Amino acid sequence: MKQFGTILNFELQNYFKNKLFMGITVFLVAVIAVIMFFPRFTASEEKEGPQSGVSAEGSQGGASGGGSADSEIILLSAGEIENKELLRQAMNAAFPEYEVCLTEDDVDTIKEKVTSEAAAYAFVMDSPTSYTYYVNNLSLYDSNTAVVDEVLEKMYGINALAASGIPVEDAQAALSVGIVHETESLGKNQMQNFFYTYIMIFSLYMVILLYGQMVATGVATEKSSRAMELLVTSAKPTSMMFGKVVASCLAGLIQIVLVFGSAILFYNLNKSYWGDNPIVASIFDMPMDLFVYMLVFFVLGFFIYAFMFGAVGSLASKVEDINTSSMPLVLMFVAAFLVVMFSMQSGDVDSFVMRVCSYVPFTSPMAMFTRIAMSTVPFYEILLSVVVLIAGVVAIGVISAKIYRVGVLLYGTKISPKTLFQAMKKA
Amino acid sequence: MKLELSGIQKSFGEKEVLKGISFSAESGRAFGLLGRNGAGKTTTIRILMDVFGSDGGRVLIDGAPINYAKVKIGYLPEERGLYPKKKIIDQLIYFARLHGMKRQEAEKAIDYWLERLGMMEYRNKKLNTLSKGNQQKIQLVTAIAHDPDIVILDEPFSGLDPVNAMLLKDVVKEEISKGKIVLFSSHQMNYIEEFCDSIAILNGGAIAICGDIHEIKRNYVRDKLVVRSEESEKIAAGLGSCCRKKENGELLIQLEAEDKKRGMMERLTKEFDIDEIKVFEPSLNDIFVEYAKDHSEGEKA
Repeated sequence: MKQFGTILNFELQNYFKNKLFMGITVFLVAVIAVIMFFPRFTASEEKEGPQSGVSAEGSQGGASGGGSADSEIILLSAGEIENKELLRQAMNAAFPEYEVCLTEDDVDTIKEKVTSEAAAYAFVMDSPTSYTYYVNNLSLYDSNTAVVDEVLEKMYGINALAASGIPVEDAQAALSVGIVHETESLGKNQMQNFFYTYIMIFSLYMVILLYGQMVATGVATEKSSRAMELLVTSAKPTSMMFGKVVASCLAGLIQIVLVFGSAILFYNLNKSYWGDNPIVASIFDMPMDLFVYMLVFFVLGFFIYAFMFGAVGSLASKVEDINTSSMPLVLMFVAAFLVVMFSMQSGDVDSFVMRVCSYVPFTSPMAMFTRIAMSTVPFYEILLSVVVLIAGVVAIGVISAKIYRVGVLLYGTKISPKTLFQAMKKA
Repeated sequence: MKLELSGIQKSFGEKEVLKGISFSAESGRAFGLLGRNGAGKTTTIRILMDVFGSDGGRVLIDGAPINYAKVKIGYLPEERGLYPKKKIIDQLIYFARLHGMKRQEAEKAIDYWLERLGMMEYRNKKLNTLSKGNQQKIQLVTAIAHDPDIVILDEPFSGLDPVNAMLLKDVVKEEISKGKIVLFSSHQMNYIEEFCDSIAILNGGAIAICGDIHEIKRNYVRDKLVVRSEESEKIAAGLGSCCRKKENGELLIQLEAEDKKRGMMERLTKEFDIDEIKVFEPSLNDIFVEYAKDHSEGEKA
């Protein structure tokens, strides 16, 4: 036990003296600080705006639109269609950020204007229900045709109603009635939970992979530098392995607490500037019990993988071997991550696969946590999952310690599963 | 204190590595554990240090099973290596603390040894900035800083220059005189002969010969004479086939029986100008070669 303490202390010191570890932590905190303070800086810039003679509106428009006022023209070639002016007004209402101009130019001139960016877009009407859309670079998220389709449908409806004797104003009012609705989620609100669940799963994934690899590399380095020769005679292999794993878990936790803690701190300092941003507010509105669950699943999930990484490290003779020998482990973990991610994006986190995954120790840290965060899971299911996970951690810990005991003394030779198994039975 | 290994057996898989190793070593004396590569020395040492258990046999201290919590062991492994990128003082303290020392006493002991070995200037340097010989001296500190009762030194002199070898010899002699059990493993027989009173030669996982070096030597049949003389050509011509010239110019004379020594000595000193004449005793090297030669060869012979 005393040895375990000494090893834990030594390994933890290694992390804190490691420039890369400290560098990454400081970098992450700095990035978060920049993001969190960003609205404060932009807000103070905007306040200065009117004094320096530029109108606040202008600077906002410039920032959001990204183009100059000249290019924000939409050309509308209406041809033989009736009620051109009405159509133009409707289009103007649908594209409030642009100026919609009617044009009599031929198609080639219109095309040229679009390519030379004299006009942002052009719509050339062939009939009241068909048109051609001209755009210079078609964006991945371009939804202009959908907007125009809607405008034209409405115009067509108004015209049709007007034709059958209903006044244009009445037709317009009937076709543009606004619906008011309210949603009340009685369980979890996935829209709200999605972002912080995503962030947590992602940090879990990063931390386990990163620190798992560090554990494996640490063990393999001790072996390849032959420090292991002395270590095995100075300390019990179980103390060595548990010391390493617990130290890396603590280092990971400290890093997470620093990063998330600084995020929370900086957010609270700038809360008024973030104001009504719903995504950011939802991230920092995480319930406390979920945070506790995250800690539980993080620690347990970390241990189960770190033990396996430790065992893998003890079987490698050279540090370079780690990449290949840890491949199955990494693949398993990435597969679990992808299953969880796809389920999250599909919105169905209680699917059969997810239910199974939330009880399998290797996947449950991410799967069960996601289900708790984004759905309503009965407490006994959570308890069962945690108990199975703890049993898994203990079992993997014992097996890994045995592999470790055998592995650390085997140099150079490629270890076949058969010899490993035989040696483990004796250990 | 008396360390005793009795009937140690060990197999790895199908392979029987140790077939009943027994020897004993005492406080204040150095013991040489010899054997060719793969004879089972390191396995014996690892069992002695409780890295893994044996399949049979016991390790005893003064007749009782060894208590690893009480008996401290220091080890200089043949495969040297510490943490190359860590500060020397940090890793030395780490190993001393693993051996149960408190931080302050560890630092004190380490500083004493660094000073003693002339390594104080490297105290806060990283290990990989040191030369091989200096790294070895650092490694020696890990073996002795915690004041162990048993010191195991595996090839301690390899890679050391003569000055450092001298320094190490003094340290080893000091440890022996402090009443520690020093276990030596080396292929450099001159060092073994210099330090060790007793030896055990391992061959194929079994003890080929074990005991006091002088007794082992005395047990050889004393029926050969070594003669150094200016007139060796004449002597050789006079004695005929029982006389052989060694590489260094000395003559080796094979007698018919042990009790013919005196007569031959008297005869030679009377007839020739003799610089030196003595009974031939095999060197440790000769003994090693005889007992440690390939197991199968030995059986055929």
